[in-house]
Amino acid sequence: MATDQQPSRSRNPIKRGLAWMENLSEEAYAYLLLIPAFLVLAVIAFWPLWRTFKLSLFEDDLFGAAKVGDFVGLQNYIDVLTNQNSLLARPLIDLTGGTPFFRQALLVTIAFAVISVVFETLIGFGQAYIMAKEYRGRRWVRVAIILPWAIPIVIQGMLFYLLFNPSVGFLSGPLQSMGIFGANPLTDSTDAFIITTVADIWKTSAFMALLILAGMQSIDKSLYDVAEVAGASPWQRFRHITLPLILPALLVAMLFRTIDAMRVYGIIEASGAGCGTVPSLSCLVVDTMFGSTQAYASAATVAFITAIVIGIAISVYLLALKFSSRGSYQ
Amino acid sequence: MSHDTQPAGSSDEEQGPFTNWVDSAIKNPKKVYRAMFATVAIFFLFTTLFPLYWLTMIAFSDGSRVSEGVGLLPTGFDPSSFIEIFQQVPFHLYMFNSLVFATLTTVFVLLVASLAGYAFGRLQFRGKRPMMLGVLVISFFPPAAFFIPLFQLFNQQISFLGITPPELYSTPGGVVIPLSAVFLPLAIFILTTFYGQIPDGLEDAARIEGTTRLGALFRVIIPLSAPGVATAGILTFIAVYNEFFFSFLMTGAAAQDWAPIVDGIISYRSQFQVRYDLMAAASIVAVLPVATLVVIAQEKIVSGLTSGALKE
Repeated sequence: MATDQQPSRSRNPIKRGLAWMENLSEEAYAYLLLIPAFLVLAVIAFWPLWRTFKLSLFEDDLFGAAKVGDFVGLQNYIDVLTNQNSLLARPLIDLTGGTPFFRQALLVTIAFAVISVVFETLIGFGQAYIMAKEYRGRRWVRVAIILPWAIPIVIQGMLFYLLFNPSVGFLSGPLQSMGIFGANPLTDSTDAFIITTVADIWKTSAFMALLILAGMQSIDKSLYDVAEVAGASPWQRFRHITLPLILPALLVAMLFRTIDAMRVYGIIEASGAGCGTVPSLSCLVVDTMFGSTQAYASAATVAFITAIVIGIAISVYLLALKFSSRGSYQ
Repeated sequence: MSHDTQPAGSSDEEQGPFTNWVDSAIKNPKKVYRAMFATVAIFFLFTTLFPLYWLTMIAFSDGSRVSEGVGLLPTGFDPSSFIEIFQQVPFHLYMFNSLVFATLTTVFVLLVASLAGYAFGRLQFRGKRPMMLGVLVISFFPPAAFFIPLFQLFNQQISFLGITPPELYSTPGGVVIPLSAVFLPLAIFILTTFYGQIPDGLEDAARIEGTTRLGALFRVIIPLSAPGVATAGILTFIAVYNEFFFSFLMTGAAAQDWAPIVDGIISYRSQFQVRYDLMAAASIVAVLPVATLVVIAQEKIVSGLTSGALKE
């Protein structure tokens, strides 16, 4: 019996696979584990991006069947950056008196990202603190704080559209009498920008809070006991235990929030403000691609410029992440 | 004796309850922290819940009177919108579709990102930094940048490496595959961070006891990183459940064509009339499965690393 079982066990492909894995070098094992992720990303992300990039090197041909004309190299990029591209989607009424539209979109995107990420980080910290403490009913407090993140963007947009709608909601009245908002908030660029930013902060603070909470929950509790015995104040405990230990999770959260905020599109459309009033870079891509012009090459160009702008912003984080991981791991 | 205590008691009454509280707070600073905590907690609960409360009031309002304005109470009481949403369209089918997308994507993303996160977080190899950067760069692009090639691919208009894939448009695959790629970078970065923080000693101990390499990942690293894994799971699930771009454009508009919740909600907005009360009611119903999930999954977001686990 024993001699029968021995060969059949080694013929089992799963067991043989596991045994083979045990003998791989650390480097080979790492590459093996990365294969599934990179296979998915290659087909679904890198390959489409490569095609879109190639598209951005050609001329738009709006009347041809293929929609794409001759190879023009980087001319599209030069045209967009110098505001000579006539195919980009534009607002119906130019509110800023002739500021180049691409630069407007850049400004709106950066302002939106900075304001929303700063507020979401601060609020997220506060919310995470409340979700981390132990008390009766904490489970329901956690659900309540996460709930805005679960609201579909269409409804989030509708909610804030109605709240600030002068006839349905009740928020624009007081804000108007205080002189903060104009007569019709959703068609005024500044007011609509504030509304979309508030809507975004309301929904996505929960994202920051969850990640910060997970970071807090991974801290060894005995560190706090030691600190309390040593007489550390709550601020000192936060400054010297909580903050350094959650920093990696916090940076990941801020990194992805910044990327997401710089790609803002959905809430602008859904809140009724619209891309003509609050033009972001993603707005420019979507309107140029799916709007009346369907200028695919120009849209692809703006998409890549957006990615480059985000890449520049993100390199700041990556440097911080590099330093923080050097501090805690090595 | 009673003479001595009497004046002290009366002076307390003169000072009033607030001063008394301040006095006791100075002696016992914990009380201040507790009061601050309660204040902040109530503030955050109010700001997050108030818009949702107002949404509920819209849902209970009379549909034809929403435009008159809705205050703290519904304008005309009409709870029938919670039934009407199912009569106008099969809203439960839209919800089912989105639940299928969210479940499949979350399972797939957590599995693939766990393997990648383990490699990035715990193993040393050449090309680690460029590879992590490559994963991150994908997130820089607006979703529209992926859309046209994938749309053509899923409609069998182009072949990939000489193979024409099956028609994935209006199937779960047409949504789950692109969304997996979209949400994979975030999950990989979260899991890399959390797996990287588990002390080596715990994994070594399991390995010495004869656990396989993969076994150590699933039996030691993942359970100890439960807060991070649960968070990555909740974030992915909710984001896919409500995803707007791919799930909307990669499917038809009818529930049997795997249309997501967004399609159902938009259907209450006809050319002539926008039924805000129905949209509000539908979104409240749609949030219920997610709220249930959060109630269950948040149990995992508690300290995984107790002091016992760290004493190797």
